[in-house]
Amino acid sequence: MLPPRDSDSAIRLTDSDAALARLSAVQKNYLEDPFIKHLVPRWHLQPARPPLINIGTFVRATAIDDLVFQWLQTSASHATRCQIVSLGAGSDTRFWRIATGAHKETLASYIELDFSEITTKKAMAIRKSEVLSAVLGNPSDVTLLHGGAGLDSPVYHLLPTDLRLPPADTLGKLLASEGSAILSPALPTLLLFECVLVYMTPTASSAILQWFLDYFSSAGSPALGSIVYEMFRLQDSFGRVMVENLKTRNVSLPGAEPYPDIDSLPGRFLNIGFKAARALTLKDIRKSYIPPEELERISQLELVDEIEELDLVLDHYAITWGIGAPQAATAAAWGQWGLSTKARVPVEDVEE
Amino acid sequence: MGSDLDEQIEQLKRCEPISEEQVKRLCLKAREILIEEANVQHIDSPVTICGDIHGQFFDLMELFSVGGFCPDTNYLFMGDFVDRGFYSVETFLLLLALKVRYPERMTLIRGNHESRQITQVYGFYDECQRKYGGTNVWRWCCEVFDYLALGAIVDGRVFGVHGGLSPNLHSIDQIRAIDRKQEVPHDGPMCDLLWSDPDDIQGWGLSPRGAGYLFGGDITKQFAHTNALDLIARAHQLAMEGYKIMFERTIVTVWSAPNYCYRCGNVASILELDEHLGQEYKVFSHAPIDVRSVPSKRPPADYFL
Repeated sequence: MLPPRDSDSAIRLTDSDAALARLSAVQKNYLEDPFIKHLVPRWHLQPARPPLINIGTFVRATAIDDLVFQWLQTSASHATRCQIVSLGAGSDTRFWRIATGAHKETLASYIELDFSEITTKKAMAIRKSEVLSAVLGNPSDVTLLHGGAGLDSPVYHLLPTDLRLPPADTLGKLLASEGSAILSPALPTLLLFECVLVYMTPTASSAILQWFLDYFSSAGSPALGSIVYEMFRLQDSFGRVMVENLKTRNVSLPGAEPYPDIDSLPGRFLNIGFKAARALTLKDIRKSYIPPEELERISQLELVDEIEELDLVLDHYAITWGIGAPQAATAAAWGQWGLSTKARVPVEDVEE
Repeated sequence: MGSDLDEQIEQLKRCEPISEEQVKRLCLKAREILIEEANVQHIDSPVTICGDIHGQFFDLMELFSVGGFCPDTNYLFMGDFVDRGFYSVETFLLLLALKVRYPERMTLIRGNHESRQITQVYGFYDECQRKYGGTNVWRWCCEVFDYLALGAIVDGRVFGVHGGLSPNLHSIDQIRAIDRKQEVPHDGPMCDLLWSDPDDIQGWGLSPRGAGYLFGGDITKQFAHTNALDLIARAHQLAMEGYKIMFERTIVTVWSAPNYCYRCGNVASILELDEHLGQEYKVFSHAPIDVRSVPSKRPPADYFL
């Protein structure tokens, strides 16, 4: 692999990292995902990632799946459909997994945004793969847009953009054009940011969140949820080494600056008017928020000697979720949305 | 062999691998020496105790510049010489050459990474393949691993072991009964010595590593009392500050791989025991990262991106 020419291509390369990590976790049976191989070129030649990376990928994916599933379920239980917007979506397969799962009818639209270099590749991979295309619907309802950098279908929308630009010019035009808005301001909507805001300035990422909050507040949407997954706590010795190591790959992490500890993370949402927010490290999620049976299952998959190192790495990544603009009538139901501890139910208690 | 060996030591100190033929002879000679050693080798103070090195050759050079070179300083290395770092071959062969050259001054005991199975997962096997174009060197080194002692005892009062204690071993005498010349087993007392960890629990617990056990302060104190020990020194676990003392100073973890895996940002330490078994911890940082300490074609350290 040639060193990236500029910092933008370095950031784009982080998507192949994430896709390869997911592919590896799938091939080692940590995760189930029949779609990822269709989005990774020469997937069968890719080497497996180390156990530590597989475990971290499993923890991250399982926790975010949990939050997304709850979002769909809460929508369904209120007899409403919902929308999901994935920003910096890269090679994510979540749309295909939802659209072939129990909650496919709950999904009104699924929108993915990323750099045009990435969306172009993804649009091509989708067109080339029967497995991916079939899920989008009738071939006559699927069209390429933006000179091949975008793709439109009844539910799934893939759009090229640069999230660092002013949101009114990017998100406003792509999602909320009067008369032809693909994002309804009236439906419960979940935003996903998986390792994306960290590559932007805090000002730029706040502007994105603010744009969504304003858009949904004005039209009285029942709920706007948001999930951010990324590294933080980069001011300590492990974090400083990470910053240095990534610098050699031309990757910098300006978005992590305001977040030296776990308590600072919810501020990302609360400071701009979200009603509630919470953050958990991947270390804590692995310990208490993943079903114990699952932890037991994955402990059998590979020999892992590096337990302290695993904890150290996972302690520098967090999932933060926040909820904004809930209407008073539905606030209670949406207020339940979040990760909860998954204690093993003691056998005695079940029998009682 | 003396002057040849001195030349090989000089070469290895420059981080240049010796020839395959030289490795073969070195390993044979090492086995002859190690076979004579007890499962728990008796050594005398003063001695400097070191934890995991993991192929971080240039950091081992930092260690020697802090602790003094062998034979000026006596050393006890508590295993995990190989895997994870970029220079497991040079690291292990240098330590082994020093062992053969100064058998009384250099003591090497076995870590859980001195194993055929683990080295095939964590890098040493691949590195031997890459540097010698075959698996002979890896095989000979693994044969040496089988002969390494399982522990060491300094002046009868400080017990050194890579991992920790075993529910099947109450006294150091019981360790002497183990037939150690084999691949590290998946369970049983020999496995436990190389894999267990002290933990803030009472009694014994299941290890998250899938091998060995967790053992509490009560177990540690009982073992120290039964065997009339001042201290149990062990390695095996990353300690961000270089060492970690537990259970009213009955046990210490000594960690000697600074910025472990070129990612963890930790410092390392060595434990100097003087002739009265007085303890002094010397903390050190990683070697400057330059073209030599980290090869240019290295894979980037792994993160979630």
